[in-house]
Amino acid sequence: MDLTRLNNAFTLFLSLLVEAMPFLLLGVMFSSILLFFVEERFLLRWLPKNPFLGALAGSCVGFLFPVCECGNVPVARRLLMQGVPSPVAIGFLLAAPTINPIVFWATWIAFRDQPEVVFLRIAFSLTIATVIGWVFSTQSNLRPFLQPNVARAMPLLPEERAGEPSLLRSGTYWLGASKKSDRLTVADLQIASAASLSMVNQPLTNKLYLLLENMMQELRELGGVLVLGSAIAATIQVFTPRDVVLSLGQGPVTSILAMMLLAAIVSICSTVDSFFALSFASTFTTGSLLSFLVFGPMIDLKAVGLMLSIFKPRAVFYLFMLAGQLVFLFSLFVNLYLS
Amino acid sequence: MTRRRNGSLWLDTAAIAAWGFLFLKYWLTEKLYLLIHPNYFWLTVAAGFVLLGLALVRAILVIRYPFAGTSGPHLSLFPPGWSRWLLMGTAIAGLLVSPRAFASQTALERGISDGLTVTRVRPQAFRATVKPEDRSIVDWVRTLTVYPEPDAYTGQRVSVKGFVVHSPETSPNYLLISRFIITCCAADAYPVSLPVKLPEGQRRDAYKPDSWQQVEGQMVTETLAGKRQLVIQATALSAVEEPRNPYDY
Repeated sequence: MDLTRLNNAFTLFLSLLVEAMPFLLLGVMFSSILLFFVEERFLLRWLPKNPFLGALAGSCVGFLFPVCECGNVPVARRLLMQGVPSPVAIGFLLAAPTINPIVFWATWIAFRDQPEVVFLRIAFSLTIATVIGWVFSTQSNLRPFLQPNVARAMPLLPEERAGEPSLLRSGTYWLGASKKSDRLTVADLQIASAASLSMVNQPLTNKLYLLLENMMQELRELGGVLVLGSAIAATIQVFTPRDVVLSLGQGPVTSILAMMLLAAIVSICSTVDSFFALSFASTFTTGSLLSFLVFGPMIDLKAVGLMLSIFKPRAVFYLFMLAGQLVFLFSLFVNLYLS
Repeated sequence: MTRRRNGSLWLDTAAIAAWGFLFLKYWLTEKLYLLIHPNYFWLTVAAGFVLLGLALVRAILVIRYPFAGTSGPHLSLFPPGWSRWLLMGTAIAGLLVSPRAFASQTALERGISDGLTVTRVRPQAFRATVKPEDRSIVDWVRTLTVYPEPDAYTGQRVSVKGFVVHSPETSPNYLLISRFIITCCAADAYPVSLPVKLPEGQRRDAYKPDSWQQVEGQMVTETLAGKRQLVIQATALSAVEEPRNPYDY
């Protein structure tokens, strides 16, 4: 194999990792702090019950967590495990990388002379994330869409607790542990050991110890996925000529498709992607730049890798299709009617 | 079993420490310049220190409480242990294999000769007072984006530094003097260049692709590859060291 290319791919791979790892670390820290220091009941109390408003609120929660798309996945997974309603968690998953102060600031710096890009980016991300969160609320039990270990950690829905004959429930029965012979599942154990909110009431030293262990575990698992995602992104970027991608980029439709494809391939962090988009500002349509800025933070190769740690492939595919189609339509509208 | 579990605790800790070392090594050996924009160095450096700190605290805890630690169900897609080795392996590869700056092959692949890259450069500040010979390649390209008529620059003195690219579209007495621009990290590096007409009687074979050169000369207008454009009529080229920071911003 061509040695220069291999070296380029390695350099690219490292550059993605060096750029993304700090944000992953930040996300894992926020996620763990959320786990051990924030009461789930507190979060749930002020989140609206209505699925639409819940999705909207979830999309805005990102403003409290300045993380990019490598950082929001652990937080979203944590939210789901803590029993936050799915529209809220999905709204957060899709919007948090864009709807947060650092990204807003970076986009503003990059597109000061085109403020419409900054505001449309926020508006589109918020709308699309809310709509998709809303759509997912029709699936009242999200478990079939989730990876088994996330699904197990989710608290049972009230109707499940009521409807299931206790002997048919899976799990370990602890003899003598309780007079009611209640079963104890892996999920319960995990809730008790790591994902539980009873941790909030633990002594501080215990909490800090568990915080560290939780961070190590998330860093290890998500770091592994990030490494793999960056390797794939770097390989595709080096071995597909960029001209092939760019030559598609002149028409109102092809430019959007090209930029969405580029966003998915490059997997650049949402914190810095506006600077990347800026370098295309004079050759690409405004709509296509927006499609890059809205789609990239939601779905890209790296994020798909991370999302697969929460969702089964089928659910990631639904997210991908819904986000892709909405971004495409919104950007096309900008290209045809606004610019 | 316990020994094995202890081993994996240590492997975790070592992998996190290795990443911390890797980040700080890149910072101290200035390799970070090859990977990301200097504006984001502090993030990587801070992450390096935090990772090392985490590893240190973890190591102390593993020594003091060898059998403690949560072994909650494992969270991800990989079989247990894979991500540990993936992280450790990548960190070791990063410590052993040095990243290298992109060069002419990448420049050609990223469309240096099709003129597209030139228009992607947006002027950040237009400084008419800058003396022509003080402009870098990027300054020239930005100036040209604002006012593209080549004749406006004819006769101006040029002194620029960059690496050599041999474009297949020009004759052997021309080369391209080039730089990469990065806005965030190497993933978005794109090349900019100026064509150089070599002094009478010289051919570009004397200047190897990827070699760094200081080009002195003056601007002329020529038609290259069917396009009327600004060309440096070189009076002298001298080999220079690759700068510590090969990219421009």
